[in-house]
Amino acid sequence: MNDNPRKTTVTLEELLRLKRAEQPPAEFWTQFEHGLRAKQLAAIVEPRPWWAPFIRIGARISRYQLPVGATAILAITFLTVWEYHPTGAATVFEPAVAEAAGLAVPAPASEKTAAVDSAVGPAMASTALMAAPGPAQTMAATEIPVAQPAAALGTSSHVAVVNSELASARYVAENLAAAQAADPQFDQILGSSLRGVESSPVRAEPLAQISVPGNSRHSRLLGGVTWLASAGTSDSALRVNEQAAHHLTERRLSESDVVSRVDVGGDRVTVKF
Amino acid sequence: MDAVKTLGKTLVASPERQLEADSDLAIVRRVQNGDVAAFDQLVLKYRGRVYSVVYNLTSNREDAADLTQDAFIKSFQSINRFQGQSSFFTWLYRIAVNSTLTHLRKNRLRTFFSFEKINEDDKVSAEVIAAMTDATGADRETFARELQEKLNEAMQKLSIKHRTVITLFEIDGLGHQEIAEIMNCSVGTVRSRLHYAKQLLQSELQPYIRR
Repeated sequence: MNDNPRKTTVTLEELLRLKRAEQPPAEFWTQFEHGLRAKQLAAIVEPRPWWAPFIRIGARISRYQLPVGATAILAITFLTVWEYHPTGAATVFEPAVAEAAGLAVPAPASEKTAAVDSAVGPAMASTALMAAPGPAQTMAATEIPVAQPAAALGTSSHVAVVNSELASARYVAENLAAAQAADPQFDQILGSSLRGVESSPVRAEPLAQISVPGNSRHSRLLGGVTWLASAGTSDSALRVNEQAAHHLTERRLSESDVVSRVDVGGDRVTVKF
Repeated sequence: MDAVKTLGKTLVASPERQLEADSDLAIVRRVQNGDVAAFDQLVLKYRGRVYSVVYNLTSNREDAADLTQDAFIKSFQSINRFQGQSSFFTWLYRIAVNSTLTHLRKNRLRTFFSFEKINEDDKVSAEVIAAMTDATGADRETFARELQEKLNEAMQKLSIKHRTVITLFEIDGLGHQEIAEIMNCSVGTVRSRLHYAKQLLQSELQPYIRR
């Protein structure tokens, strides 16, 4: 390495032209010719690999990348759309359940339900699927979807939903009567199925579930007092009143606002209303 | 698409290049019609240039000889698929460059350098070396070897693509359009790579370059 370079008198292009002068000697080309002949002969003798024709075919197809690619995309899209049935579950489900129960299935009902379900979307279809196992749940499957789209879809859809609900109720009633006529034990089966539904907790309005502090206080006071008013009416009321009196300890009676209305003195208790 | 490419090539190529391409195409047609011996003319015509390109990419004379032979074998095997949409030398260069790039990528970690001697019969190179050295013969030879090593070191520091562009443009003297066809990229890409490669070479060869 030369640490002290000489006169810097050339350009990069001139330096690179030096590379052109790096040429092999004449005898090199003689060897090159021999090597090339040997490789040509070897290429003739050498068997071609079995996959060589595929490369040639691939090279020919590669000219048509655009049409082949577009065709492939169209085919995949078509297959995807063809295989995807978002509303198919509701239309298939009802006849299957009805046939299993030996009931007659009116066609308009299923069409209307399917119309509602398709308007609601896949979420409702999945709700219908979940409700598939029993006849009582079949009713739920037709009624659950109609509550939500009524608020979301507006007046016309609300009318359709109500029609669907009425029609469903009518057809369910007809089917129920037919089933009862066909099988005397159907009531027992239906009753056992509905028992779980009846025992399930009833939905209440959220505001109704909120207790007002004044109400609880009022009921507490009344609960403590009514045993006196209703004493002697019946045995059950008497037992309840005894239990209430047991809870009315002297300490509690002397607490807070109870004192102002209930006065305990000697062998008697005075209540002010 | 092919018509646009041919038109572009026709607009860019010089008349000499066009004559050369026409004569090459005539030879190729003869080979395609069964006159296999005619291929030797193409080998004799282009072996030096192809070897030079491959040698400057690999900096190894043995590898360069093998890759050049392979390029001619491949072109001979595939000559029936040559349709004349580009000139024969562009097609041959593309085969050689692609083979070399594949070789370099496969042997990225295994690099051995073996250089050809600078032919001082070449007038331009002799002038360059004379301008950079003293008049004494011994110093001149030593300096020429040192300069050659520095040049090759700087070339090897370039990426494969930048090295290819600078080799084809500065050493082999091809145009931007021809390089773009050989490397299968746009002319803008070729210019960009050329600019970047020159910047890197200038920083590497700073002590030897006049400002």
